[in-house]
Amino acid sequence: MSRRPRLQVVVQRYGDGVSGGAEAHARELVRHLRPHLDIEVATTTALDYWTWAHELVPGEDEVDDVPVRRFRPASGRARDFRRYERAAFARDRSLDDERAFLRAQGPHCPDLLEHVRSRAREVDHTLFFTYIYEPTALGLPLAPDRAVLVPTAHDEPALSLSLYKPLFHAPRAIAFNTEEEKRLVHGRFRNSRVPHDVVGVGVDVPEDVDPTRFRDAHGIEGPYFLYVGRIVESKGMPDLFDAWARFQGTGTARATLVLIGNAEMPVPARDDVRHLGRLGDRDKFDAYAGAVALVMPSRLESLSIVTLEAWALGLPAIVSARSPVLSSMGRRAGAGLPYASHPEFAELCALLMERPDVARSLGRAGSAFVSRTYTWDLVVEKYLDLFAEVSARAA
Amino acid sequence: MKVLAVVQRYGKEVVGGSEAHARAMVGRLGLRHDVEVATTTAVDHWTWAEWYRAGDDSVDGVRVRRFAVASGRDEEFKAFERRVLFEEHSLEDELDWPRRQGPHSPALLEFLHRHGEDYDAVLFWTYIYEPTVLGVPLVPERAALIPTAHDELPIRLAPYDALFRLPRAFGFLTPEERDLVHGRYRNEHIPNVLLGTGLDPAPEADAAAFRARRGISGPLAVYVGQVSEAKGVDELVAAWERVDPAVTLVLIGAPGMAIAPRENVRPIGRTSDEEKWAALRAADVLILPSRLESLGIVLLEAWQAGTPVLVQRDNPVTRGQVARSGGGLAYGDDLPEALAGVLADGRAMGEAGRAWVERECSWPAVDERLEWLAQEAAAGV
Repeated sequence: MSRRPRLQVVVQRYGDGVSGGAEAHARELVRHLRPHLDIEVATTTALDYWTWAHELVPGEDEVDDVPVRRFRPASGRARDFRRYERAAFARDRSLDDERAFLRAQGPHCPDLLEHVRSRAREVDHTLFFTYIYEPTALGLPLAPDRAVLVPTAHDEPALSLSLYKPLFHAPRAIAFNTEEEKRLVHGRFRNSRVPHDVVGVGVDVPEDVDPTRFRDAHGIEGPYFLYVGRIVESKGMPDLFDAWARFQGTGTARATLVLIGNAEMPVPARDDVRHLGRLGDRDKFDAYAGAVALVMPSRLESLSIVTLEAWALGLPAIVSARSPVLSSMGRRAGAGLPYASHPEFAELCALLMERPDVARSLGRAGSAFVSRTYTWDLVVEKYLDLFAEVSARAA
Repeated sequence: MKVLAVVQRYGKEVVGGSEAHARAMVGRLGLRHDVEVATTTAVDHWTWAEWYRAGDDSVDGVRVRRFAVASGRDEEFKAFERRVLFEEHSLEDELDWPRRQGPHSPALLEFLHRHGEDYDAVLFWTYIYEPTVLGVPLVPERAALIPTAHDELPIRLAPYDALFRLPRAFGFLTPEERDLVHGRYRNEHIPNVLLGTGLDPAPEADAAAFRARRGISGPLAVYVGQVSEAKGVDELVAAWERVDPAVTLVLIGAPGMAIAPRENVRPIGRTSDEEKWAALRAADVLILPSRLESLGIVLLEAWQAGTPVLVQRDNPVTRGQVARSGGGLAYGDDLPEALAGVLADGRAMGEAGRAWVERECSWPAVDERLEWLAQEAAAGV
């Protein structure tokens, strides 16, 4: 019997208590790849993506029955990180400004890099998650031969730095989350000759979904729109709150805006805005099932898993037209309605409330899009194909 | 098309195979394109001390941007090299290699960072030095690499892992170099061309006058290059005790080792170009004992002069060149027999070499390959 291929996964944080799209994505992917590969994870002892403070025990650990090796960061995010960021994002930035930015961003973890390089020679493939942090930015160039990059890139200033160029040219393969991310990266780096595929993640929908259970548990009555995610300025929440007030002020129809997720900014004190905090998966999926639509005001998304989950449950999504990824994905799925202004947002909300048939047909298109593009079976198959490509070429 | 050539040293005063290749290619590219050179102020590949003034210069009518060397070769380089290549060491040591080897020129890298994208194609010469190993990553989308690699230990160090996967195209000097790079890095997916090199016609030279001046009447073997252990000259001189004593070995080149004077071994130091060509024409055989050559230019010159060659069998590059051209033989422990064989069949071998060089190293043939390389580098942009 031939041995199972060995996969090293490199990611900046990993395990219970780690919140974050890319990190959750990495963990879900590892769980689904586990039946096919012998997997080991290399990461830091950090839980918090801002401070990168040392919180977990360094050394061997296990998460979901997969061995995890943690290394203590030598330094986390610099106190005056914003200053480094300004210098590195300025037009006349120097190479030193860029290097200082990467270090100041954290987690700076030389022991992890040394480990990644030496293990890379022992395993068949190394999967690097998220282009922006040091473990990938400096780790991938040390082990390019069998490397697959999951960039989770979006259109942000950091993507223009010279120091990230080799990451996008040196790996054996790149796994993009969306067509839009692929276009962005190919446009910026001219690296389309590196083998690649649009892979993304799978969406698991529980069988037992019950909107009444959600309404009863939280006392929600009448039609409601749903937002799921961190309630924070960078996700476009202030704009959503303004747009919501405008919509409710038109008096065409009354509805509630339900927010699920941690609030890192004040939530308007209004009867028609309900903040429920973080909820478990069952509550969240029940909530999708009863909503008129999902609202997604964020401009900077490389892949919105929440939007995919909503679509999977037959929910249309009202998305920011300023997010190239969301608006273009919405168009491809036939299940996203982009808004560019507050009046447009109000019109779309009213339309979906008045025409449930339209909402249903959009939702069906979304559900079909997810099941033909973002199921774990497909995702696993695509990764195994990319790994086969690596094996065919690697030394 | 706007083309930038990046090379660690550049100028008429610079001695070195890769650098000479770069300069010759820049001259040819300049016939078709708007070409500039980015290099350092150094002329010496050991110290990298400042020789030229930093700033704009012009060489052969081409604009040359010279950047200051912040530090040359580390004073402790020999000890550092031993540790990194043969002893336990850290990843940090490996990553420090390009800086400690020199020339460390942050200004040159900063220029590539800020202005690399002003060029359609950036061609880099020699994989091993910092301007290339840290420069290619700044412009991989428009880079072509002429690595001039040979099988040596540093090529295994960490900084070079990514380098050999970044450029859009490679220009190799020989098939052996291509095989070495592909074997080590499995980067066959990157397009490549066997660039080789072009040669100007060999100048006329008076062979008889050379023999008369040096008082040599019998069979004549010539070595041209650095007279040093690194080039294998010590082994050659030692082996010469076993060959027919009637054959005189003349060593032409800068002396880098002591040689006990013998009747049939004559180091004559550096010579003029005319004298070198006279020696090549006068010689019955040219010998190249080096085990590390990425392109034996002197072999090509010998063949231009119609002189057959003997090369070290352990060097796959020169052995391959000789096998392809039919212009000589390879030797190992059997130097006396191999020498006798070449002397016996020299004229035919020399003619085969001459015909091969005319075919492979003509400028139109090289221009075509060079153009392909530059276009391939620019195609991504």
